[in-house]
Amino acid sequence: MNLLQWLIPWEASFSIAVVTAVTAIIFIRGSLTCQLLFRQKLYFGAGLLSLYVVTQTQIDYYAEHEFFVHQLQSLVLHHLGPFFIVLARPKDALSAGFPTAGKRLIRWVSGQKPVQCAVKLLFHPVAAIIVFVGLLAFWLLPSVHFIAMLDWRIYRLMNWSMALNGLMFWGLALNPDLMRSPGSRIAMMLAVVPPQILIGALIFFTPHELYPIYTLCGRTFTGMSPVTDQQIGGLMLWMNAAMMSVVGILIVIHKELRQPIKFNN
Amino acid sequence: MPNGLFGTRGLKLLCLVLMLTGCNPEKQWQLQEITGHLPDLRFSLISDTGQPVTDQTYHGYLVILFFGFTNCQAECPTALFRLAKIVQRLGVNANRTRILFVTLDPGRDTQQALHRYVTAFDGGHAIGLTGTDSEIENLAKRYRAAYRPKKPDSDDIVHSAAVYIFDTQGHARLLVTPDDTIETVANDLRHLLDSLRL
Repeated sequence: MNLLQWLIPWEASFSIAVVTAVTAIIFIRGSLTCQLLFRQKLYFGAGLLSLYVVTQTQIDYYAEHEFFVHQLQSLVLHHLGPFFIVLARPKDALSAGFPTAGKRLIRWVSGQKPVQCAVKLLFHPVAAIIVFVGLLAFWLLPSVHFIAMLDWRIYRLMNWSMALNGLMFWGLALNPDLMRSPGSRIAMMLAVVPPQILIGALIFFTPHELYPIYTLCGRTFTGMSPVTDQQIGGLMLWMNAAMMSVVGILIVIHKELRQPIKFNN
Repeated sequence: MPNGLFGTRGLKLLCLVLMLTGCNPEKQWQLQEITGHLPDLRFSLISDTGQPVTDQTYHGYLVILFFGFTNCQAECPTALFRLAKIVQRLGVNANRTRILFVTLDPGRDTQQALHRYVTAFDGGHAIGLTGTDSEIENLAKRYRAAYRPKKPDSDDIVHSAAVYIFDTQGHARLLVTPDDTIETVANDLRHLLDSLRL
């Protein structure tokens, strides 16, 4: 398979293509008026592109037919992609690039009481931790995972929910505009590590096949046994969960150390 | 009166959770039910006798769909053998059932080879289907079955282990796994055919 064939979406999604293109256009428009660092553009581009690549190329075929590739896809959707997007601090550029009518609509929607309540609830650090870990655990429940890998609508819902939740969680954890206290943000990132390690270890140490859907639909790497595939998948969750939080915490500490110290007296 | 999580309110809550999670003690099927999760049967292929066939050709039949290839060493012959036994056990209902064996190796599996292969297992009810690479890829993709066109220098063919059951209207209903016993599958198929007669 040549590179061009790799770029053909396995299951083309109109909504992913449109959302990616519109976000990219808004960001580019905004970056023309805002003074952005090269680093910010690079992070944003890498984050957005990674979300697109894992869902809209032939990688998606392998994610549907091998558990560890699915875990890799989830890692990008829930961790890596949103992490880079948030790290770019794109708020100003996106706001500048947004059409005026759109901005008015957002202002109107965000002014509504139910929306404000929902945002307040979802952006509470405890709720964010529960939703982040809960969502990951929910999609990995064997019975739920079975149907999610079989039904394309639930499969897309899974991928969308992971990416949006990733943006929310990392947005709150890395962005001081949403939550000022660096201690709370570090605590949030620490809190999600043990449950993810536990889920990863449970998958890794299970001696039988937890996700038979991959055997039923056919595994793409014929030389790899189902349990080995499962173990690699479990190990990825186990290792990467800790890795991403550690990187996030180091970034927060680094930024805080660079802030001028304020004395009250 | 006890209350809280272990009291009356707790029990009500537990019932609600069980209802929501679909914990139904009276399970209708022993096989994995997939009603509503996979699309209806739709294809346009060539049968092992050279006839162009579509899903409409098998309208009114209970369809057992399976992907494989004639050079397959273990899984395909085992699955076809099992399916032939299952259809035998359906008795008079066997005439309302068709096993569709879709080749994943259209380059090598000629119509004659397919015909010989499927009739060796069940001449009356099994039909081999072939088509172009893209026709087969589309059908496999529709049912989330693994398929990659075979490389000329390799004998490696990826294939699924699932057997898909479609009702007489072409709706995807059940998924048979290699672990399901012949008796379990035959019972559910009989049950499905009876329910469709009503």
